[in-house]
Amino acid sequence: MTNFNWLLDGSIVGLYLLVTMVAGLMVRKYVGKVEHFLVAGREMDVYLGIASLAATEFGIVTCMYTAQNGYEKGFAGATPGILMALAMAGVGLTGFVIKPLRDSGVMTIPELLEKQFGPRIRWAAGVVIVLGGLLNMGVFLRTGGQFLVLVAGLDVRYLEIMMTVLLVGVAVYTILGGMLSVLVTDFLQFVVMSAGLILVTILILMNVGWEKLVSTVDTSYGAGGFNPFVNPTMGWQYVLFNLMLNTAAVLTWQTTIARVLAAKDTNTGRKVYTRTAFFFVCRFLIPGIWGIAALATLGPVANTLEAMPQYLSTAVPAGLMGVLIAAMLAADMSTDSSYMLTWCSVIYNDILAPFRKRPWSERKGLFWNRTIIALIGIFLLVYGLWYPLKGDLWTYLGVTGTIYLASISVLLIACCYWRRANSWGAGASIIVSAAIPIAYLVIEQVPSTAELAKSIGPYYSGIATYLLSGAAMVIGSTLKPRAEGRPAHA
Amino acid sequence: MPNHWFWGALTIACVIWYSTITIYVAIKGARDIKNMLARLDSVRERDAEKS
Repeated sequence: MTNFNWLLDGSIVGLYLLVTMVAGLMVRKYVGKVEHFLVAGREMDVYLGIASLAATEFGIVTCMYTAQNGYEKGFAGATPGILMALAMAGVGLTGFVIKPLRDSGVMTIPELLEKQFGPRIRWAAGVVIVLGGLLNMGVFLRTGGQFLVLVAGLDVRYLEIMMTVLLVGVAVYTILGGMLSVLVTDFLQFVVMSAGLILVTILILMNVGWEKLVSTVDTSYGAGGFNPFVNPTMGWQYVLFNLMLNTAAVLTWQTTIARVLAAKDTNTGRKVYTRTAFFFVCRFLIPGIWGIAALATLGPVANTLEAMPQYLSTAVPAGLMGVLIAAMLAADMSTDSSYMLTWCSVIYNDILAPFRKRPWSERKGLFWNRTIIALIGIFLLVYGLWYPLKGDLWTYLGVTGTIYLASISVLLIACCYWRRANSWGAGASIIVSAAIPIAYLVIEQVPSTAELAKSIGPYYSGIATYLLSGAAMVIGSTLKPRAEGRPAHA
Repeated sequence: MPNHWFWGALTIACVIWYSTITIYVAIKGARDIKNMLARLDSVRERDAEKS
């Protein structure tokens, strides 16, 4: 049973969808060049950047895994958000990596890497970024569909239909308007999403009460529910892995970096980072509180990922339910559109670069960008339908993200600050950081080795990936010292 | 609550900061969009004149 009212809540959701689609389609007339399509002509200012970055980095999938963290780990589950906020504020204030990156005027990270490491590394980095990014994004659709079906009280048989409708809606305006549509719809989605998140949180704090939330965490997890270092499922390895992961994400996650690259200048990009940093605490803590409220109200459930939407389906009254679903749709659509565009930009700009011996016309470039987004959409649909998610969602995202985060962050730091870094080191770093997480994912899925994966755990595997990736860069670059006056990749 | 002041304070900070930034960004962001589209329009007109 759910409080979703088709007339009242359905109208709110329908109105939101209509306004978003119209806004997304209206700006397509400004897209005349590939640069407009991929980086909005580099005309983005601070507040639009804040709205876009926040909306992109909060999808239904984010809400689901952060609520799962709250349900399973208590308040300590918000630790990754605090670490990410610290990393983002630090990078924004110092301009570490993002300043030389934006100053270079590139459209993607691999394009900058080519200057130090050569075209082969640019191509390999592009492949790794797209592989890690698409595997990561592969679970977004199913998770989003799961939330909507549960909250609206629909039959689970409609899950796949819900996933397809969600994707097609987003793909239409992203294909036509590119980054311009993404920015404008992100802005609307940020406002709707934030209103929903704030209202539902206030409702929960008033209805369940702070004392009950705290006592539930205390009873269920003891001190470990408040302190990650004493939580048996977390510990120092969880904190260290998440510190590495979030710092690397802030420096190199293509959807985040896309806002720096689309900013009108370097200072604007840095301001977007510093002023959005605290949002990442909210991003983990607000849904975390929803998850704790689900634990307090429902008690133990079979599927912890579904606890929060199950709880909200009866806790949120009609009227506010429409706002909640519109907010979650906004969150999901902004994330999906940005992610599709981002991986498209890397495929077009870097992976297809060897096929563009002569520059393509703007028309041909736009055609290929739009085709790539459509193909990404088809991949997401197919992958989302068959991949069985095992373990908790945040860890899956962390492991798949590490495939590229570890090596690309090492490459980018070396490219910006270490002149002796060369293509051997870069190649070794890419291989090491892709091999460890992929091997971990495979042994986790194979029944005969699943126990081994469990005994290693994702955190030690992740920490090893970052450390060994850095070591591979140093060793590879040292083994092949470059001759004076020659580029690093020669 | 007194034993868990950190999480209590952080929750209050999140609700207040997020509410404030949403209103602020809603106003300033709309202006950013208007300016961005105006700049792109002038670029489009310049390009049209050149060709």
